[in-house]
Amino acid sequence: MGKLEIRDVSYIYGKDTPFEKLALDRVNAEFCDNCITGLIGHTGCGKSTLVQLLNGLLVPTQGKVFLDGQDINAKSVNRRELRFRVGLVFQYPEYQLFEETVQADIAFGPKNMGLDSEETARRVLSALHFVGLDETLLTVSPFDLSGGQKRRVAIAGVMAMQPEVLILDEPAAGLDPIGREEILGGIKSYQRARNSSVIIVSHSMEDMARYSDNIVVMSHGTVTAQGTCRDIFSNHELLTDAGLSIPQVTAFLAALRKNGIDVSKDIFTVDDAVKEIRSYMLRERNRA
Amino acid sequence: MLKDITMGQFFPGESLLHKMNPSLKIIATVLYIVAVFLCKSAAAFAFIFTITVLIIIVSGVPAKVILRSVRPLIFILVFTTVYNVFFTKGDTLLFSLGFVRVYREGVFNAVLIAVRILCLLVGSSVVLTYTTSPIMLTDGLETLLKPLTWIGVDVHTFAMMMSIALRFIPTLIEETDKIISAQKARGADFESGNLIRRARALIPILVPLFASSIRHAVDLATAMECRCYRGGRGRTKMTTLRPDAADWIVLLFFALLIPAAILLNVYVPFFSI
Repeated sequence: MGKLEIRDVSYIYGKDTPFEKLALDRVNAEFCDNCITGLIGHTGCGKSTLVQLLNGLLVPTQGKVFLDGQDINAKSVNRRELRFRVGLVFQYPEYQLFEETVQADIAFGPKNMGLDSEETARRVLSALHFVGLDETLLTVSPFDLSGGQKRRVAIAGVMAMQPEVLILDEPAAGLDPIGREEILGGIKSYQRARNSSVIIVSHSMEDMARYSDNIVVMSHGTVTAQGTCRDIFSNHELLTDAGLSIPQVTAFLAALRKNGIDVSKDIFTVDDAVKEIRSYMLRERNRA
Repeated sequence: MLKDITMGQFFPGESLLHKMNPSLKIIATVLYIVAVFLCKSAAAFAFIFTITVLIIIVSGVPAKVILRSVRPLIFILVFTTVYNVFFTKGDTLLFSLGFVRVYREGVFNAVLIAVRILCLLVGSSVVLTYTTSPIMLTDGLETLLKPLTWIGVDVHTFAMMMSIALRFIPTLIEETDKIISAQKARGADFESGNLIRRARALIPILVPLFASSIRHAVDLATAMECRCYRGGRGRTKMTTLRPDAADWIVLLFFALLIPAAILLNVYVPFFSI
């Protein structure tokens, strides 16, 4: 549930000042319902601006944003309620923790929604479970946690609002590979369990190939392509033009193909690559 | 919304004021402020107002920037004006409305004091903060305060703290903006409720902001230590600033504002406060 769509959206920072800057230029995009969309693009292409338009923190200079077909900037829409429906986790969210305990910090969102304490506690626990934190941490001060744990608490804080669409801006930035896997895995299991829509902003082609269903590619303030992982990652040229690269493992298989080893070019994750190379070896053995 | 804070921001340029030696400029600012406070008669105020406009023109700071910096003062200006109009007692009653009596002196007071506040804040920010980069400013302050080292004050450290504080203002503004957005995304409500509720609503902003300024401070201290910073002892400057003739002339000009204001008070004493 929860389908976001943007039509002809432009956004200008500091409009009518000498510092005017066009951040988004007539962007059109659709974010799929009940699945994970990866929003990829080089640094400064407008990804972070775009996500703030999606929950009404920024209002487009021009164009419209729709949630389930309704214009979110219409007068009849309550901004605050909209933010409960479209949850946004900012970059480096660990710097926004402020409560005395982890429990209270995660409960901040649900409490603002006006939920009773029973429901709040239930949601806090379920969010904690998705980000892979232990219940014993609930009574600990968030400032005593490690960087990775703080990040998880912050993400749980938005998950606990159980938004229809969950948007995360670089949720795995600056984490080690295991941390990345756990956070992104947690987000995926949250999405599957809650059947909500998720949008993940990322730099990492590998992560997005692995965790997202659809991809939206941005470059210089516009959306240059959108489609399934297969559509996008098999189009090397498109990604290079956007200042990005194909996943390393796809590049590796492409190199193999170049050397006469007949493997598929539509492989984007390491697991699939292992399978493909295995089956190639079996085929070769059988032929011999 | 925090981007509107412009008071005390450096505006790069090439004017006479920009090029002036920062130590002398600080002294000039003090002289200017003294002159503004010495004004008593309407003529003196007209004079200092003209001088202030002149200074703005010379500084080359766009009028738009100046006007924007005046905006946050409007409340203070309106408040003092109203206060003076209604609560100054005098000889000439202009009109009365119930218990409210407005005297001619009250109206004059109100106008002159408004001019004083305006000149004071706009003038000193143009002379000093708009035309002096924070680094130059602390450099000038350090030079001026140097005599205090004889009585055991660590002037260098003080100047260093000042420049670091100034350096982090934009960073913290940006961070505050980010934190506000993030808490809004979690449904924080800063606009409704009574005063106490609104004050409480600031906690989700202030705590992270406080935590992050401490984090910045610790990181910066480590970085400074890595570059062998040991405080001011034996530290030399990359560029030593020496005032030239033009600097002294500008200073003299500011010094002359004081006798000018006094003379105008004495010889053209109409509508004095």
